[in-house]
Amino acid sequence: MSAIHLQGLSKKFGDFTALKTMDLDIADGEFMALLGPSGCGKTTTMNMIAGMEEPTQGRILFGECDMAQVPMGRRGVGFVFQNYAIFTHMTVRQNLAYGPRMHGASRPEIDRRVGAIAELLQLTPLLDRKAERLSVNILQRVAIGRSAILEPAIFLLDEPLSNVDAAFRAVMRTELKHLQRQFRQTMVYVTHDQLEAMTMADRITVMDHGVLQQVGSPIEVYNNPANVFVARFIGSPGMNLLPGRPAESDRGMVIDLGPVGLTPLLPAKLAQRLRGHGGDVLFGFRPEQATIAHEGRGMKAPVTFVERIGARIIVHLGQSESAMKVVLDNDARVSLGASAIITPHMESARLFDRASGAAIGQGA
Amino acid sequence: MTMAVASENEMSAPAPKSSAPAQDERARLGFRLTLPAQILVLFISAFPLLMQAYISLTDWSPLSGTNWWNAWEMWNTFANYTDLAMDGRFWSALWRTLVVMLVCVPVEFLLGLALATLFADDFPGKKLFYSILLMPMMVVPAVAGYMFFMLFQSGGPVNDVLSGLLGFPVAIAWLSDPKLALAAVMIADIWQWTPLMFLILLAGLVGVPQDQIKAATLLGANAWQRFVTIVVPKMKTIIIIALAIRVIENFKIFDTLYIMTGGGPGVATETISVYIYKVTTQDLIWGYVAAIALAILVVLSVAAVLAMKRMAANREAAA
Amino acid sequence: MAEIAFHNVSKRYGEAIALSDASFTVNDNEFFCFFGPPLSGKSTILRLILGLETPDEGEILIGGKPVNQVSPAERNVAMVFQNLALFPHMSAADNIRFPLVERKVPTIQIERKLADVAAKLHIAHILHKAPAQLSGGERQRVAIARALVRDPAAYLMDDPISALDARLREETRVELKRIQRELGKTLIYVTHDQEEAMSVADRMAILEEGHIRQIGTPADIYDRPASSYVARLLGSPMMNILPSGLIADGAISIPGFGAKGDISEIGVRPEDIKVRPWSASDGGNPAKVFEVEPLGGYTVVTVDAGQTRIRALMRGQPDIRPETKVALACDTARVHYFSKAGAALPR
Repeated sequence: MSAIHLQGLSKKFGDFTALKTMDLDIADGEFMALLGPSGCGKTTTMNMIAGMEEPTQGRILFGECDMAQVPMGRRGVGFVFQNYAIFTHMTVRQNLAYGPRMHGASRPEIDRRVGAIAELLQLTPLLDRKAERLSVNILQRVAIGRSAILEPAIFLLDEPLSNVDAAFRAVMRTELKHLQRQFRQTMVYVTHDQLEAMTMADRITVMDHGVLQQVGSPIEVYNNPANVFVARFIGSPGMNLLPGRPAESDRGMVIDLGPVGLTPLLPAKLAQRLRGHGGDVLFGFRPEQATIAHEGRGMKAPVTFVERIGARIIVHLGQSESAMKVVLDNDARVSLGASAIITPHMESARLFDRASGAAIGQGA
Repeated sequence: MTMAVASENEMSAPAPKSSAPAQDERARLGFRLTLPAQILVLFISAFPLLMQAYISLTDWSPLSGTNWWNAWEMWNTFANYTDLAMDGRFWSALWRTLVVMLVCVPVEFLLGLALATLFADDFPGKKLFYSILLMPMMVVPAVAGYMFFMLFQSGGPVNDVLSGLLGFPVAIAWLSDPKLALAAVMIADIWQWTPLMFLILLAGLVGVPQDQIKAATLLGANAWQRFVTIVVPKMKTIIIIALAIRVIENFKIFDTLYIMTGGGPGVATETISVYIYKVTTQDLIWGYVAAIALAILVVLSVAAVLAMKRMAANREAAA
Repeated sequence: MAEIAFHNVSKRYGEAIALSDASFTVNDNEFFCFFGPPLSGKSTILRLILGLETPDEGEILIGGKPVNQVSPAERNVAMVFQNLALFPHMSAADNIRFPLVERKVPTIQIERKLADVAAKLHIAHILHKAPAQLSGGERQRVAIARALVRDPAAYLMDDPISALDARLREETRVELKRIQRELGKTLIYVTHDQEEAMSVADRMAILEEGHIRQIGTPADIYDRPASSYVARLLGSPMMNILPSGLIADGAISIPGFGAKGDISEIGVRPEDIKVRPWSASDGGNPAKVFEVEPLGGYTVVTVDAGQTRIRALMRGQPDIRPETKVALACDTARVHYFSKAGAALPR
């Protein structure tokens, strides 16, 4: 019942296409993140699932049931708004009790359920406070509790952490994920923050300009981005992408990166796929999956900037098109301005078609 | 779970406060600078009141041949007030005024709210209807009075329409039937002042946060439940303001009414304002008029203070 | 030249202490960052430097000269505000020209400065556009350019890039640092983002409720926090601060950890904790994995050990699953010790 199927879903606002034909299956009990920059269509998709907006075309199914004729109040989805939409004229208790009250639950039943959910979300001492003056961290829990009390099989969250301060966000991420793993509702989580999507979701749907880019587990999306957009968007920093041309060396295939030099040998499988491809490529490797040396042979670029950020050092190398970053542990020694030899781990390196941006020879 | 404190914009938070003595000094200077204006305001508002209170304790009238400040010569202590207490025509006028208010204001409120709810959503031709709807409010009350005077003539358009609808000739003497005249007057008031109610309530209605309404919908509330649990509480202050304005205004109902019926037939539509007007201009017993006016002012003020206290309490609870 | 110094400066608003006995020196050409939670006094310091507030006690020096009695206009410091405050009806170029036009600088000079600053900030190609047509990052640079043309002794920036999205912030902070280096000007910077602070600052000051708690290079403060408060502020995930009794329970093993006298809490950075599957030979009480959060290049593993929850930051994508038993270990040399009052103790 609580699986969600989107079939050929699209949405237009006048001339503006918010969502192009989207097909997506969200399994029962899955934590799915809809990830993309603002205007990518993720919120529109979610609003259509909730029934707040009508699709221009396509179908939304919950399990086997077509939702086209079901108004939003009857879909039985829990929804947490970005600004929480707490009823500010009520107390925390009245907010939590709202759903059961509207469904005609009895007084003792309401009291019992409010008590239980408040206990779970640690809101018990705040129950009789007016909702208006509470901090965002508490408002967020009230918003979650208010929906969760109806035990919806499907939970939709619209950027719920964007108003929470940074220190608390990390805690809240862990808590949210843990809650979901306990209760096993189907959760659809809209965010523009790849970190939230990566850390919490079972699977991520990456979107851009109303077009679905890739669906996969966080690790899949990180390791095997389907295209250049995903490669750049996922990861912090994103994947390094250097323009180059395939070249044969005496021992196998490499990529000629122009001023940066030649990459190490491509793994056999990747080389094989590339042979069938031909043309200009983008050579991609993760900043975390490379090492730097001061001397030796290989890709060479000057160190232009060094950021030490706590546990990590982000080394910026090269200029403009061939700019790249390498992330090292904070005990590494790097000097600014010096020329460095960069050695990416070739097993995790990826290639993309330069014209289309699509990945070449997806996976290992 | 830990609880972190909500972040606030630091720049705005600690408002610079000057130290106590400086503040006192500033307050004193401010007081001295505004003193002339304050005295003027005090004079303007207090003088007529005091004069009225003074005259209400006398038998003075403009025909009595003395200036008003010599009214003490006709001192009668509380005779005007005891007369008032026993003046049947006053009490029935007051009662009639209250009846008009108790019918007109709720009807205007409900109509206004219904219209506001309608206009909160978009529909074709909304702007046109909106302008048409607001027109009655722009009509000068005296003109409105003439309009309704014409409409309710026994050979007038209202009866014509009724004849057409019912299929037989209708010749109701609206304005000369004591019962119907009051109804006609109330219809005119409702016609003219529902738009104001609508306007104020619409302003309140569009201010109700849409996402809270959506949230309520998603939690299973139907339209009526949303209206009762979200919309009305959010509009509480504005509803009180709208009602207060109309109650005060309606209590003073005069011009439209006077032109339509002149308070008649007999005293059938004589409200407080009409009564005072008649006593003032026809009977010329100004000492008595002053007593009536003062009594009403006291009653209205007490009511207003109570309403304001209630509103302040609401706002405090909401803040 | 543009050294900025506070000597025992205090500022109160009525009863509230906004800044208490603050002393620091921002060197010429330094990128200096003030970091702390809201209401810790960061913005008060900026306002004091700008001259929007006067100190209750102490002395403020700019370029070696006391400025307590100098009006804001004569202090020669420029501010880039949080909300940028570009004039929406003017083109980018007119926005940048504005401060000079106001000062009745000759047109030729204005145009030369505009071209100069546009080249430095790489915005020559967008000068004709209105602010509404610019991206967040471009607007940012225009706002900075407008501050630059005045050629002040120092720049102040109050959380200037907080409105940008995460990816753009990462790019822009590097850009800001580059611009500051090329200009060779003192830059005083306020942010609430610890990553940003560590990235850009030459040195930084950590504030708590109007008190300066520590001044140093970001690496210095990160590696040797003066207190558990400072330790918590820098680093993501946050440093694990655990009651010292925990070690005695065997929930965590720290080889060579002796019962030192007044240690109340120990702190361990997530990246210094090693997590591996538990085996019977480990003894003690196994910890249980609460959640595993992949970041791609790193993985955050949250572990329940006894009564506390500990976060570990591991490189790569280790094969650790929730609810499994694990053993934790950390290098003694990397453990921080704190007294009951929260002050750091020698290792």
